[in-house]
Amino acid sequence: MSKVNESDLYGTNFSIESIKVMAESIGINSLQDEAAKDLAEDISFRLKHVVQDAAKFMNHSKRIKLLQSDVDAALRVRNVEPQYGFYSNEPLPFRFASGGGRELHFIEEKEVDLGDLLNNLNPKAPLEVSLRSHWLCIDGIQPTIPENPPPVAKAVQKLESVDPINKKPMKETAGKPSTGKQKLKNVETVQIKQLATHELSVEQQLYYKEITEACVGSDEARRAEALQSLSSDPGLHEMLPRMCTFIIEGVRVNVVQNNLALLIYLMRMVKALLDNQSLYLEKYLHELIPSVTTCIVSKQLCMRPELDNHWALRDFASRLMSQICKNFNTSTNNIQTRITRMFTNALSNDKIALSSLYGALQGLSELGPEVTRIFILPRIRMIGMKIESHLEGNLISNNDRTAAGHIKQLLVKIIAPVLKSIRNAPDNLEDYKQDYGYMGISLHGAVVKARTQPTPVSTLAASVPTNTITPVGQTVARTMTSSGIIQQGNPQRTIVMSQQPQRIATQQNQQQKVLFMNQRSQPSSSLQQFSQSNAPTTTVVKLVSGSQVSNQPKFIQSQPTKLVMVSNPGGFSQQSPGTQTQSNIVKPNFIVHKNIEDFSDLG
Amino acid sequence: MSSGLDKNQLAAVLQVLKKYNLKGTEESLRKEANFSEDIADQDSDVSSVLTGYKSDGDPDTYVLSYMELKRFVENSLDIYKHELGMILYPVLVHMYLELVYNGHSDEAVTLMRKFGPEQDFYYQDDLRKLAMVTRREHMNGNELTDTFKSNQFIIRMSRDTLSLLKRHLSDKKASVLLNIVQEHLYFDMYEGVARNKTQIDATSGAVGGEARRQDNKTKVYYGIPKVPDIQILSAPVDEEEDNQDNQDNPDKPKKKKSKKDPLLSKKTKSDPNAPPNDRIPVPDLKDNDKIEKLKALREASKRVNLTTDNLPSCCCYTLLNANHSVCCAEITEDSSMLAVGFNDSIIKVFTLVPQKLKAMKSADKLSDVNIEAEDVLVRMMDERSGESSRALCGHNGSVYSVAFSPDRTLLLSCSEDTTIRLWSLQIWTCLVVFKGHLFPVWDVKFSPHGYYFASTSYDRTARLWATDQHQPLRIFAGHFSDVDCVQFHPNANYIATGSSDRRVCLWDLTTGNHVRLMTGHKRPIQTLAFSVCGRFLASAGTDCRVLIWDLSHGHLVAELTGHEKTIHCLAFSRCGNVLVSGGLDCTVKLWNFTKLTEETSSEDVNISHNPDVKTGDTYLVRTFQTKNSPLINLHFTRRNLMIAVAVFDGMAT
Repeated sequence: MSKVNESDLYGTNFSIESIKVMAESIGINSLQDEAAKDLAEDISFRLKHVVQDAAKFMNHSKRIKLLQSDVDAALRVRNVEPQYGFYSNEPLPFRFASGGGRELHFIEEKEVDLGDLLNNLNPKAPLEVSLRSHWLCIDGIQPTIPENPPPVAKAVQKLESVDPINKKPMKETAGKPSTGKQKLKNVETVQIKQLATHELSVEQQLYYKEITEACVGSDEARRAEALQSLSSDPGLHEMLPRMCTFIIEGVRVNVVQNNLALLIYLMRMVKALLDNQSLYLEKYLHELIPSVTTCIVSKQLCMRPELDNHWALRDFASRLMSQICKNFNTSTNNIQTRITRMFTNALSNDKIALSSLYGALQGLSELGPEVTRIFILPRIRMIGMKIESHLEGNLISNNDRTAAGHIKQLLVKIIAPVLKSIRNAPDNLEDYKQDYGYMGISLHGAVVKARTQPTPVSTLAASVPTNTITPVGQTVARTMTSSGIIQQGNPQRTIVMSQQPQRIATQQNQQQKVLFMNQRSQPSSSLQQFSQSNAPTTTVVKLVSGSQVSNQPKFIQSQPTKLVMVSNPGGFSQQSPGTQTQSNIVKPNFIVHKNIEDFSDLG
Repeated sequence: MSSGLDKNQLAAVLQVLKKYNLKGTEESLRKEANFSEDIADQDSDVSSVLTGYKSDGDPDTYVLSYMELKRFVENSLDIYKHELGMILYPVLVHMYLELVYNGHSDEAVTLMRKFGPEQDFYYQDDLRKLAMVTRREHMNGNELTDTFKSNQFIIRMSRDTLSLLKRHLSDKKASVLLNIVQEHLYFDMYEGVARNKTQIDATSGAVGGEARRQDNKTKVYYGIPKVPDIQILSAPVDEEEDNQDNQDNPDKPKKKKSKKDPLLSKKTKSDPNAPPNDRIPVPDLKDNDKIEKLKALREASKRVNLTTDNLPSCCCYTLLNANHSVCCAEITEDSSMLAVGFNDSIIKVFTLVPQKLKAMKSADKLSDVNIEAEDVLVRMMDERSGESSRALCGHNGSVYSVAFSPDRTLLLSCSEDTTIRLWSLQIWTCLVVFKGHLFPVWDVKFSPHGYYFASTSYDRTARLWATDQHQPLRIFAGHFSDVDCVQFHPNANYIATGSSDRRVCLWDLTTGNHVRLMTGHKRPIQTLAFSVCGRFLASAGTDCRVLIWDLSHGHLVAELTGHEKTIHCLAFSRCGNVLVSGGLDCTVKLWNFTKLTEETSSEDVNISHNPDVKTGDTYLVRTFQTKNSPLINLHFTRRNLMIAVAVFDGMAT
């Protein structure tokens, strides 16, 4: 029974001032108070009436959201000309502004660049409405497939992890028979805490076996499928402890054996679990974080440190760590603080191995420019001294030289944008040398170069013709969807690299950093069935450069239904000296915003 | 009779005549009554006679007399209290309208502010609508005020309570109150004990008050008639007779049924409540229809009967990339096709089986087809034209409902553009545009036997049509607000309508009268479904409850709660054991209907009294959640597989 108060009953009327403003806007300057009052009353009445009617149209369209078309229909019913020009594909939120004692709600009107419209000769057609079937229930039991919502909502998982007493002993919920008869009246019940059982059904055991085998096996296609399943299937929460144990033990064993490939596979499993919207991982963080940390800072991760690209694993694990921080950091667990402290302690350690130093730096830098500024910048002289001896000296092993080179590269990449924002031009080389020691020269060069770059435009300005990249679009996108770690050293990597000059060209010539790529749906994924049409789905890739990168990627809404935006995880420029000066430091973010994929991915 | 009143009434009559431009009558009446033009100019008096709101009484007395009435109700004995309380709402409404009508807006607002919020929750919607009206001009053409003005508010009351009330009113001589009670309230008295609050709440909430006992007295033939035997063998059927669709041809030649087919021989004995077969004239079955019927029977024999131990499987069809653009969906009886109506005026038909949607061959190619051939119907279709979905364009507004004919060759659609269109699913074009409704048409349904169809509209009427007549056969008027949904009774003799006035009405197609009027919904009704046995009607809508009505007496049997948002679809399993409901809260709920009917029939029924309403979720068997996909249609296949149609809402994630 909703409680109704009197303000509900009468709602609000237009104020006399509003009416006067409206009158002024159509050229009536001196409206009498009386007239304005009468008008306000009448207009409020008429408007409420129209809205009331519009609600009928909304109801019959089986919606709970009132649209412009409903208001139009309500006006038509009353023989009033509909209001044209208010139709929009996108939701238009009210913006709020206040100032000078006045409060104002308004709809932001975006400026449309006509050049944009003219260049975009073939505007995208809306997606075809398609039909997809799935089993909502089988003999009264709802199967846990991506098309159905997860059996235990994330919020419930969270509650359970925070307060285990709340865990109901297998409550009969959806899909299970309601057992009203079992309730006995007038029986004193004693609350006995149920033993947490982790019995897996035969199917779940089979699934666990298949998935773990596929994840660490040699078949890449199968692994992709398994990871896809881990990242999208609802209802994995019962198997989560087992999965975590598998990862932890795997890391423990393979670090000792220096098995780089397996470590990478295990980290990709962590990534998949993190991406799964229906899982709440907090319960297992105390186990996962040490494993991930191991993969970032371990002294040796592979058999031949001079040849194997263990740097990529460190980068990838660092990104995982920052994702964990972002998702799970709360004021009670202080994950970010603890991780930052851990890495910083490693930096202060004099005897630290170069590879571990690299890991610690990378781990810190992934936590954001602010962390970089506070924790890395003051130590840059010290680190510089350390690597200088390795780079410039003669009696140094090749291995250490590579490591030091990597550290130098990394430092330039992460520090330059920070310096650019905290130091004012002109940049004096001597000052840099003075402040940053050995690193001064390289940093100076990077900052100067960064300053000559046009300031990045954060919102989308225009689109670049797609054909330049289309042929390799798929591989590029694949590289990124799988977080850029698989293709270390294989041909696809080179393809990515080969795109570099073109990207620079676009950046230098125009003020835009936007690439359109055509990406075919991944053939192995089950998503394929979703779209009946086999037309290539287009991916919008946005590369943001510059130092003031925010953690929140901004949405580009070129078309409301489908949009993929990628902030480049820095992988592009990292290995190419020519692009170092670009200073693309960007948080790794990958947001897929597409109708179809939402349906199967998100909870 | 005072002459003043007489003159006023005369002036009112004259004004009405003037309004409808009946000059001759007007003049002769004027002459006869010796009534000159100038006397008739007391406009306010005249219209107050017309509306029944006379301007007597000091505006300040209204609040006092309402408070006095309230005090009387509160101080009366507990058993009478709740029934007496029922008059508070209509009295408040009419007091408010009188004040507004006579220009005392401020007093009206004070009255409403003071007493509006304390009315029952189900009246708040209407009170809010009334509160919008603050001036006399606003009352012109206002649906709700018109309803209150021209209809008496019906209150059911026990004899004792009523006499108590009458005594109070005559004691007090409160003229304002007395006037309202006399003019605008109708007391439907019954013998027996006064009802308690729960009983009252169960059936109140409709715009015009409760249903009168008189409204539900007529006998309803709710049974399902024995299915006339189907001739399977191609006995000579008169082709000519098929053309005379309208002709009444009740006596099916009862041919010997073939002993080979045991399906046809096991027929239950005829239902005593069933209407005679010839009550509604229906066109004869064609050969094709008979084959189809037979197929349906065969399929039905493979049906799984659903119980709580044997629950259905559900296949969900999700429409993707259709954010906020789908208005309706409908599945054919044999579950082979799905039609979807969009808000951009398009209708799309999808095939749900491997057979593609084919079009008929062109005229010159049709002439090559051998008409004598057994499979002429197959031959006339163009094999190469098969497609998995087809669009039908023609409407000029959102398509609010679609309906397949039982033989699957025709499709009906209704739209915001006020028309109903009949489409051919063989040549995939529009065949007929039915114009008649002057306002958006909300719902359209085909009769179970085809040929007839019913539509409902914003114009507060439901209409019955036949596919071969361009004008409606019946117009069912009586609802106080939009008629939102319609459903044919399985025996095709009745239609049920649900309306925004929160009443469900059952209409007899032969007479055009309403035979059942059922109140109890608290919000507009969006969907209706008849039980397989024909005795029960389920209705649901914006108030998130499913109400089950017993049509034998028009009683509310049960109130199924559990949904959180508007319910838009209801369906009974083919065996009648399970009722499913689905709506905007993205859930499908399964209800145990067998249990409900068993418990209902075991009770002895008091005809004049509504039995205790079964509430709660004791009948809920299962709940299935979809993923951000509001349900828009539910359907059971002939073998009892449940099919759900949902629209994925990508914006919600």
